[in-house]
Amino acid sequence: MVTESYRNLSEKELIKASIEGDRNAFGAIMDSYRKMVARTVKGMLGDSASAEDIGQEVFIRLFYSLSDFRGDSKLSTYIQKIAVNLTLNELKRRKRVFSMFSQKADDEINALEIPGLDSGERKDTIEIVNKALMALNPDFRIVVTMRMLQGYSTKETAEILDLPVGTVLSRLYRAQEQLRIILKNLQ
Amino acid sequence: MNPSEVKTLIIDSLSPDSDSKAISARLELEGVSFDFDSGIRDSVLDRIFPVALKVKGEIEFIRNMNFAFRSIAISGVAAIILLLISIFLMEGSFSVDSFLGLRDNYDESIVCLLTGK
Repeated sequence: MVTESYRNLSEKELIKASIEGDRNAFGAIMDSYRKMVARTVKGMLGDSASAEDIGQEVFIRLFYSLSDFRGDSKLSTYIQKIAVNLTLNELKRRKRVFSMFSQKADDEINALEIPGLDSGERKDTIEIVNKALMALNPDFRIVVTMRMLQGYSTKETAEILDLPVGTVLSRLYRAQEQLRIILKNLQ
Repeated sequence: MNPSEVKTLIIDSLSPDSDSKAISARLELEGVSFDFDSGIRDSVLDRIFPVALKVKGEIEFIRNMNFAFRSIAISGVAAIILLLISIFLMEGSFSVDSFLGLRDNYDESIVCLLTGK
């Protein structure tokens, strides 16, 4: 675990120490952003083994790109971008594999096809959130994850996803419409 | 929080004017939290740092090699110069007197050089 001395270091100092090969300094960065990355990766991919692998890959990529981080944006934004890119790549890979076995594309998946959505079954909060997210098209799922799980504003979401604010707003609106239908089926 | 409240919260979180930070905090309080396995930290650090240490070791080795090569090269050049000087001195083709301009100088020629006669 991270010692008190690492907790007192600023983010810049931790980055510098990590680049110089300080294992504990990078461990401290990981501790700070682990849950944030998990919300993005597991919100998008579900609680799976591949989500754990992607989580590891995010931090490994972060380490090797730390020397390129100029500090123009916040470190959290930089990490989120890595997490979003790797997660979307994984979804594309899954879609390719899925399309090899089925004619249906990923965006055709809807709530009715998700197992365990029997009407009348009482769900706990996390189950409802997970199933609602997994039922969404990935383009909508990512904006919902950023908004609902990470608590980002529309502007912050647009910055992380490299999308215009208008596109984010339109996706949020359409995601909201889809979720109304999905959540209705959960009752 | 009952399921219908959760659903309302999910729908509300997507409205442009909603307080997304407050909603995500409330969802987390209700148990909507995500985390990786506890072993992820050590797995990542173990994957990164053996490589980093190896690279660091290689860089250190190259630096040491550069230093050693430079030291050997300078010593070698110095030895060659000393050897050449000693050979010239031993063979008589070069002497301390001739180096200082004390040999083969005659008074007449000096007078001639100074007066031009």
